[in-house]
Amino acid sequence: MKYFLLFAFSLMFFFACEKDGVEQINVIIPESIVVPEDMVYIPSGNFIMGHPDDPGTKRGEAIIQEAFLIDRFEVTNEQFSFFNPSYTFHPKRARFPVSMVTFEQAENYCKSNGRRLPNETEWEKAARGTDGRKWPWKKYYEHPNNGFSGFIPEAVDHREEWISPYGVYGMGHNVWEWTSSWYISDKAFESDPNRYKVIRGGLTQTHTVIKFTPTFFRNKMEPAAFFNFIGFRCACSVNCQEG
Amino acid sequence: MKILGQKTNRRFFLSLFSLSTLTSFFPARVFGVSDYRNDKNIPKQYIQNRDRPGFFIRSANPFMGVDVEEWSLSVRGMVKNPIDYKYEDLFGLKKKSQVSRLKCVECWSATAKWEGFLFQELIDHVRPDPNAKYVYFQSADSYYESFTLEELVRPRVLMVYRMNGQLLSKDHGFPLRLIAPFKYGYKNIKYITSIEFTDSRKRNYWSNHGPYSIDGTIQPGIDHPLDYKKKPLPINGGEVFHPFDKQPP
Repeated sequence: MKYFLLFAFSLMFFFACEKDGVEQINVIIPESIVVPEDMVYIPSGNFIMGHPDDPGTKRGEAIIQEAFLIDRFEVTNEQFSFFNPSYTFHPKRARFPVSMVTFEQAENYCKSNGRRLPNETEWEKAARGTDGRKWPWKKYYEHPNNGFSGFIPEAVDHREEWISPYGVYGMGHNVWEWTSSWYISDKAFESDPNRYKVIRGGLTQTHTVIKFTPTFFRNKMEPAAFFNFIGFRCACSVNCQEG
Repeated sequence: MKILGQKTNRRFFLSLFSLSTLTSFFPARVFGVSDYRNDKNIPKQYIQNRDRPGFFIRSANPFMGVDVEEWSLSVRGMVKNPIDYKYEDLFGLKKKSQVSRLKCVECWSATAKWEGFLFQELIDHVRPDPNAKYVYFQSADSYYESFTLEELVRPRVLMVYRMNGQLLSKDHGFPLRLIAPFKYGYKNIKYITSIEFTDSRKRNYWSNHGPYSIDGTIQPGIDHPLDYKKKPLPINGGEVFHPFDKQPP
């Protein structure tokens, strides 16, 4: 009886807390473009990049971006292990995002599939759409912090309620992601234009700043670094599936 | 009407009711962990938490410190040549020094010049089995930590016996501690007494006693450096370098 009640109230709590879905941009895909099932078509056009209050960004400038394709999900442990058989992971984490990969390993994985890493402009547009929103899902949610110091990755397709307006998963949580862009800054201590790559994204859980990372936030990392909080996804131009 | 900033609709009351009922299924200890770390009854001569200017002291298990005459470092487990090192033996290992920042999980950080030797020195002596992928440390104050072997052979990870030109003080881990600058301070175990090579990962002290992960890699976020009046500065994850820190080439 105790377990039945536990189950019943858990179900009730789950459904009571369920959030509404993220409103999706209605995208018309040209007939000439073939979009693989695991990718999303991001149409050409302006979008708002950066934020006026963040001097390290484009400050809310309107940026023109050509159409491109981007992976719907972060690359998983299982997918990466097919590319690199020496990469091991816990069997229960096959659908979790791959991590502990350098920039070069990420880039080589994408190339092996006829793709490439997204640049940071592409990444930001896929994450926030055209209305300048702060989080991919637009609405403000409290960060689900439970006091744990560390972060808890999840299966890449787990959070439908946190998808971007183009239907891309994991752009505001799960792991940070390598992009192809070099981190360029006018600050002296980080002015070497070939030292850091831009990483984008954010974690589901962290120990101090209990907030979701905004879509415009730019982080940086030396390309040879490999940490458990950095993964990646691939992108390509709209005609990369031809021939 | 709003309660705690939430609309009081049907969904609000449903979630409140179900959550309050769910809490009754769990014992009280799940929700409350006593914090003994600032116990005022710890004798003054014990190594314990102290907010010293420049570099705070943190000690999970207050104790009197190590008597070096009694101390040895045991390195064993899945190795070909288990070895016990006495204190003076440490100074026969190839010396390396670095300036690096120790970033505490409590948010503060501080820098020091650390001197010691690379973990690879121990590996060369004890020759681990190829299946030994993990390393388990124990200390004189009943603390323990675990790492992957790969983490310990990274170039900025040091086994340390000197700090800022002096032998390590009791407060900072005399006679031997670990400095792994890309890990939170609690991973940087002090007063090390034994190192065991294993083929499976063991848990660490804080994953058993508090809300800290076994891995302990420093995540992107905010730091409050003691040498910057604890003003908040962003950090990008991994080893912390602030604009005023000298970075390795």
